[in-house]
Amino acid sequence: MSKKFKITICSGTACYVLGGAQLMMLEDLMPAEFRDQVEIVGSACLQACRQGGSGQPPFVKINDYLMESASIAKIVDYMRKH
Amino acid sequence: MTYINNAALIKRQLMVRLAKMMFAGTLGTQVDYIPLQQAPRESASVRCCIHHDRAVLRYRLMALLGFAVENEKPEDEIRTLASYVAEAEQKGADRLDDKILTVIDEACSSCVRANYRVTNACRGCVARQCIMNCPKNAIHIENGHAVIDEKICVSCGICAKACPYHSIIYQPIPCEEACPVNAIKQDERGKEKIDESKCIHCGRCQQACPFGAVMERSEIFDVLRMVLNPACKTIAMIAPAIVGQFNTELGKVVTALKKLGFDHVVEVAYGADLTAEKETAEFVERVEHGSVCMTSSCCPAYVEAVNKHISNIKPLVSDTPSPMRLTGEWAGQKWPGAKRIFIGPCVAKRAEARASEHVENVLTFEELGSILVAAGVDVLECEETTPDQVATATGRKFAISGGVAGAVIAAASGRGVKADEKLFNGLDKKAFATLKVVDKVIKNTTFIEVMTCEGGCLHGPGVISNPVVARRFLEKMLKEHP
Repeated sequence: MSKKFKITICSGTACYVLGGAQLMMLEDLMPAEFRDQVEIVGSACLQACRQGGSGQPPFVKINDYLMESASIAKIVDYMRKH
Repeated sequence: MTYINNAALIKRQLMVRLAKMMFAGTLGTQVDYIPLQQAPRESASVRCCIHHDRAVLRYRLMALLGFAVENEKPEDEIRTLASYVAEAEQKGADRLDDKILTVIDEACSSCVRANYRVTNACRGCVARQCIMNCPKNAIHIENGHAVIDEKICVSCGICAKACPYHSIIYQPIPCEEACPVNAIKQDERGKEKIDESKCIHCGRCQQACPFGAVMERSEIFDVLRMVLNPACKTIAMIAPAIVGQFNTELGKVVTALKKLGFDHVVEVAYGADLTAEKETAEFVERVEHGSVCMTSSCCPAYVEAVNKHISNIKPLVSDTPSPMRLTGEWAGQKWPGAKRIFIGPCVAKRAEARASEHVENVLTFEELGSILVAAGVDVLECEETTPDQVATATGRKFAISGGVAGAVIAAASGRGVKADEKLFNGLDKKAFATLKVVDKVIKNTTFIEVMTCEGGCLHGPGVISNPVVARRFLEKMLKEHP
């Protein structure tokens, strides 16, 4: 069965050092209501930082949506709204 | 959990900008642009205005260049950062003497002295237990609300307990609350000052300050200068707590360090293996000569705490050098003349390194991480390489609470000395009180391990990874390489 959300966390060094390290706790801190609906995968650099956009690390992909300056709170908030 | 902290992120962003300029060779001419780049004209300000933000950024950069902000003379306010770069180049390590931590006066928000505040939940009731029970008459009613006069209040907390609406809250001064030795205090203007005669360099005030007003005096400038100079040979001595810091295997971090330009990479856990061996021998000898207990000596903040606050237990502290010093001594013999750079999670190691002839400089993991980002080196994309000197599981366990004691007690048992273990996992006021009389409390033969950071070095002030995540990596590694 495929899950509703596939969350890809960039663990490239730039994302990891500039705030991404905390995102590794996402699975531990995921609210119970979403536990069955989400698949969390770690990833090598998503290249989002190298494409020259204005976004700030850390980057996270939720399905096809690319989130910049990601935090656990922002990710959970996004899931609530979708 | 630990929350994402913008003050810490800004510091890392500045480190990245500074290191990028060093790699490009433009620091001496471009450094004064960094505050403008970090807080550009149209951006929203965090403090009163972007000019104040920029002023604070300038001071943060001064600290990142290794200077103590307190030493700024009134006329230095117009000095450019470029002139500080020139001074750093000229003076080298001599400028790093004195303080380890520096307080940015301009960033310190002079937190309200009184620890209790009346919130707007106050209903101005008739009972007025707060006023009736205040021993100092510090509370009066203003516009139907209780108000605490912070000049009179002695923070006893009776009003907060007495209020039936729970409308009086406890509001600490974060840096003072975090300091285990009362070394940081407000001056007459309400600005925090660190008393060097008390400070043990644990780094908790730096982590605690919500305004980012406490900074380490960084050695990034000195380290990058050595790394970028092909004539200068460098050795990266990586602390046991590095496992898991980049969310990947240790071997990839080793490659990343070599890509940055370090000539050799050695595990300080190797020195920890040596420390465990020597410390066991010392412990066994002391027990044979009638001692009941001995404490570890690898945590520099603890050793400093003994020297400055509980000197009566000094005879109980092991004389065995720390893993960093033993690694440095070994590396100095193996590669004479090469510069030894300890890379760890610790602020107090800076003080230990300055006092030691076996280590030239110290970087924290977050400084290393920022340098890697600036250099465009992605650790995950690196191949795995073995360090030039590897360690065993015994030394690698030094990164967590219980690692040192476990190693010494197991080895002592092999030599016929049975000992109990006593862990001080985190140095707080209660631990201080117990340590002060520890020789009177302990009856059986005991090895005492003291870690200033609760949980051990993985929880140090200079880490990148969440300690829970780092610990998973360390445990995996210990399982695969027992």
